[in-house]
Amino acid sequence: MKYLTGLAVALLLCGCETVQPWERGTLAKEEMQWQSDVMEGRMRDQIHASKEASSGGTGAAGGGCGCN
Amino acid sequence: MSARDDNNKQSTLVALTSSALLLPAYQAAADAPPEYTELGVRYSKYEEDDIEGKKSFGGGSERYEIDIAQFHLLAPVGDNLSLALDVQWEDMSGASPWFVGESSSGPRVIMSGASIEDTRTEVSVATRYYYDRGNAGISYTYSDEDDYESDAFSLDASLNSEDGMTTYTAAISSSWDDIEPTQGSIPTNAVDEEKDIRSAWIGVTRIVSRQAMVRFGLSYTYRDGYLTDPYKSRDSRPDERKEYTFSTGYRHFFDEYDAALHLDYRYFDDDWDIASHALDVAWVQNLPEDVQLTPFFRYYTQDEARFFNVVTETTDRFYADDYRLSAYGALTFGLRVRKDIGNWSVNATGERYRSDQSWSLYNGNEAPGLVDFWRVSFGLDYTFR
Repeated sequence: MKYLTGLAVALLLCGCETVQPWERGTLAKEEMQWQSDVMEGRMRDQIHASKEASSGGTGAAGGGCGCN
Repeated sequence: MSARDDNNKQSTLVALTSSALLLPAYQAAADAPPEYTELGVRYSKYEEDDIEGKKSFGGGSERYEIDIAQFHLLAPVGDNLSLALDVQWEDMSGASPWFVGESSSGPRVIMSGASIEDTRTEVSVATRYYYDRGNAGISYTYSDEDDYESDAFSLDASLNSEDGMTTYTAAISSSWDDIEPTQGSIPTNAVDEEKDIRSAWIGVTRIVSRQAMVRFGLSYTYRDGYLTDPYKSRDSRPDERKEYTFSTGYRHFFDEYDAALHLDYRYFDDDWDIASHALDVAWVQNLPEDVQLTPFFRYYTQDEARFFNVVTETTDRFYADDYRLSAYGALTFGLRVRKDIGNWSVNATGERYRSDQSWSLYNGNEAPGLVDFWRVSFGLDYTFR
């Protein structure tokens, strides 16, 4: 519940500046993407998931692997 | 100016206006298929440091190394669809910790011997439908190893607010995994087992300013079935695991430096009493001659599982001495460089991962099997403009 509250507060706080569609050129840049390199992201997620006890956070979990 | 020039000018203006109007908060990419087909390949080498002689019985030992090849294709199909194909091949070899025993100088690992030889092939196909205020995708992933097979489906959808300032996203996934440990080199805990994974995720992305975006996400994952490591001698885990994550991310573009700051954080918690924090920071610096340099840093720390012990008793119902379930901290430093040449793009990445109990935010005894590794990748991308 504390996370949901934090989420709501953060959204309210950052809702102060309306950015018009024609002002979103910078946000559309490739270097502003959440994940700009699909293959790099996949591999890093897989390495961390197989070498650490926790995973996820970027979407629904995928299938497992027998990685040791 | 001719009428044709005038028409061209008008259609360019219409195209620019339409694409700008379609820019949602999520990904900031228009809710339309990619304009061009994109193709990419990567080769990566992952190599773990040898385990030190003082931490293992029988002197130092080599650990795991993996050669990885990846292929990615993303293509527009008509006006509202895209199709993606991802293939990954891995060739794995080396040794991994088998169990931990007590010695006069403290706990030491007994390695499995250089007995692991395995290959993995993963094929993923995905299609995405784009509508006025969002997009929705479906994907299927098949992964096959000598001792492991997995089928996974996922569905996701996003919806932009009317003003395009906020994007809401939801995703669900399901996987069915079969485990058949390779028999022969070391005794295994299982012969033929199964596990299922169900997961759901919701996220909100919000435009903060002309230069910044923020996102938040919550996920729940349920694992059910054989969750014990079949190759570890002293390992018995519950057959159920419930995991929760809270994640947030921030992107900020600095016009004065022509660079973007990436911040990502994830908190993880589960019913095995494991909790973790992961913080990722990257600085994407554009340089002259279409060169991009990205130094990145990651800090990770986790608490130990409730049934973990450095040297474990096998009399309890659940027990494990797997270093991956211990309390530790890990630091990653990396650098990525990219150069665009016309429709081509070449890139190289190197990263160093080191782990240590003293870097953990959580108390616990150090597992002697903690891993350090190097990873280097080389890639080539082509856009069919």
